[in-house]
Amino acid sequence: MRPALKLTGILIFASSCHGQTNNPLAGDAKAAETGRWTFRILCAPCHGIHADGGRGPDLTLGTYSVGDRDSDLYGAIARGVPGSEMPGYADRMDADAIWRIVSYIRSVAQHETSTVQGDPSSGEKIFWGKGSCGKCHRVGSNGSGIGPDLSQVGRRRSLAYLRASVVKPDADVTPGYGTLRVVLRDGKSIAGVERSLDNFSAQLVDLTGKYYSFLREDVTSITRENRSLMPSYEKALAQNELNDLLAYLVSLRGAR
Amino acid sequence: MKPLGCGVLAAMICHAQIDPGSWMSYGKNSLGWRYSELDQINAKNVSRLASQWMYQTGVPGKNETTPLVFDRMMFVTGPSNFAWALDALTGRPIWSYKSAPPTGVDLCCGAVNRGFAAKGNKLFKVNLEGTLLAMDATSGAVLWKATLEDYKKGYSATAAPLIVKNLVVTGMAGAEFGTRGFIDAYDAETGRRVWRFYTVAAEGEPGGETWKSDSWKRGGGSTWITGTYDPDLNLVYWGTGNPGPDLNGDVRPGDNLYTCSVVALDADTGKLKWHYQFTPHDIHDWDSTSDPVAANLDLNGRSTKALIFANRNGFFYAFDRATGKLLHAKAYTRVTWADGIAPNGRPVVVSGQEPTDEGNRTCPGMGGGHNWQATAYSPQTGLYYFTSSERCMLYYKTTQEFVEGQWYQASTAGRSEPGGGRIVALDPKTGNIAWHFDTVSTPTGGVLATAGGLVFAGDAEGYLIAFDAQSGKVLWRFQAGGTIIAPPISYALDGRQYVAVAAGQTMITFALPK
Repeated sequence: MRPALKLTGILIFASSCHGQTNNPLAGDAKAAETGRWTFRILCAPCHGIHADGGRGPDLTLGTYSVGDRDSDLYGAIARGVPGSEMPGYADRMDADAIWRIVSYIRSVAQHETSTVQGDPSSGEKIFWGKGSCGKCHRVGSNGSGIGPDLSQVGRRRSLAYLRASVVKPDADVTPGYGTLRVVLRDGKSIAGVERSLDNFSAQLVDLTGKYYSFLREDVTSITRENRSLMPSYEKALAQNELNDLLAYLVSLRGAR
Repeated sequence: MKPLGCGVLAAMICHAQIDPGSWMSYGKNSLGWRYSELDQINAKNVSRLASQWMYQTGVPGKNETTPLVFDRMMFVTGPSNFAWALDALTGRPIWSYKSAPPTGVDLCCGAVNRGFAAKGNKLFKVNLEGTLLAMDATSGAVLWKATLEDYKKGYSATAAPLIVKNLVVTGMAGAEFGTRGFIDAYDAETGRRVWRFYTVAAEGEPGGETWKSDSWKRGGGSTWITGTYDPDLNLVYWGTGNPGPDLNGDVRPGDNLYTCSVVALDADTGKLKWHYQFTPHDIHDWDSTSDPVAANLDLNGRSTKALIFANRNGFFYAFDRATGKLLHAKAYTRVTWADGIAPNGRPVVVSGQEPTDEGNRTCPGMGGGHNWQATAYSPQTGLYYFTSSERCMLYYKTTQEFVEGQWYQASTAGRSEPGGGRIVALDPKTGNIAWHFDTVSTPTGGVLATAGGLVFAGDAEGYLIAFDAQSGKVLWRFQAGGTIIAPPISYALDGRQYVAVAAGQTMITFALPK
């Protein structure tokens, strides 16, 4: 089998949601458990089997880019999140099923309790200066789109995840930002962030932002490398600088 | 341009398939070969193949249809109960059909449909809500409608029906929703149900002892891919799906017959002639619904009526299709759950491969191996062509209560490592792989073999690819602009051979330049 689809009238569904700000199943442990069953089937492929993130954001943080009200979560599940890969499920499950998923998400919300002893404003200077993070990442309207957009990363990822990403970037490469290596006929090798790959061609962007497109028949090899092009900052930054940078990343909550 | 012909195997094949220029059923012939005896397009000229027309349906969703072509028209089913008749020469729409599914239909895998069946001037298709329709091919008018089972109990339907003499044989879907699978046969003239075979044995029936208490009532075993038919033996062959709940077998100890099996049924009565269970007590969602292909193989110096089957569990099997005797079995992809198939036909199961709450890695992944995508057999090369996913997965298990009409899967599987797939050409006489083409993604489309010495297959990124059927060399490709999930077909019109496939929301045809 593959992800579920339940044909349900969108209008019926929408009418049951309008005006409903709070989860009618809130506090119902059975609803949360039933929601977990569905979550594992439909949501876990992107949000992780424990809802702690993957291709999609970590949902255990207790704060969400779509808003923190029950109805915000309901709306995101029902209608999807524009500009993201999150699809809407309004035509795939009824209102109760969505509320049960909301119940499950609420049940695993830990709320971030760990803090980092760092100065966000100093971290911001490192991000755009010494760290050169902005050469690959975007925050708001600044920076580059070579790597993932970090405008809301403090809302989407835990502190522990952010620390691991800065220290060991290869540990969990954000889907869609893997590394492609192309070896040309003259022996020259080009590594870049994968933009597209199929059975006959590859498209990538190198760390200078230069875009490349190749046909397999024109090159020696095209290889996916299971690593990130991002360098580790474990030794490049002092401990206090690393904490400052993390404090800055945690502060990036984005505009809703 | 080379005139149309039937190739060197003309006599045998043309007899078996009646009109080489038409495409009248899911697998082209009732044996499920998906082999076109047309050879105008061949290995020498396929590089000049060019698109002729496109028809954009405008209907979102996955297109898994096998179009039928006869009487100068192409009959196409689409997602969400849509269907069209197109002019096969130009792609111009002749009639269309739509019927909004009722609210509350449970579907595991999309609002899909895999095609029509045809008999005379009648077309037959299932609708998502578990109904079977007869339609007039000229006008699209609905002639009769039969209900397979109640969609409110989790039943649905997606497969192309199969014509067997005066019967329309059809499967159902819904194993993820606590249903009990079956195969039905209906009178093509009246829509009256003639027989039903339940793929889950009830308490007191032979095989009923392989289920605990009343677990058989929601035992799954759905039948969502079209079977095949051998008119000489008068047997219908059909693959059956996973038991339910998919990933937690604790509530259903035993082999769970006849799930994850191929069943051979008397075509007139639906009585079980023989069966073989590929994966007893499946807990990895390895439906065995792929099309069973009836091919005669030269084994030990004699022609053997065989049934060949690339199973989702990672093994290829060949049977004597008259008796069900297993002839040989061999893994065609990475397999960690079994060390092989014992002489008695049962898998040599490796312990410690069961799903767990935290996930347990097993190969192949949930989608196989080979999943449902249409296979092909070429009597010209003697090779069997199919797609295969080449990766392992983490399998998770959950304790889950059954609630009628609710998803009943007891967890899921997730990717454990990157991986792509293969298009495989396998020698069914030995189970050895003759050639394979590695794909960057899990293959999505089906396969077509032709007398032109070609194999056509679509991929996830939208390429339709033509291979040399013998060597596997890529001879041509076309970027169709949308994921190809459907299998290609080939037909002839006014002395020209066409290849057609649904890509994204578009039906595309190809031919050699005039």
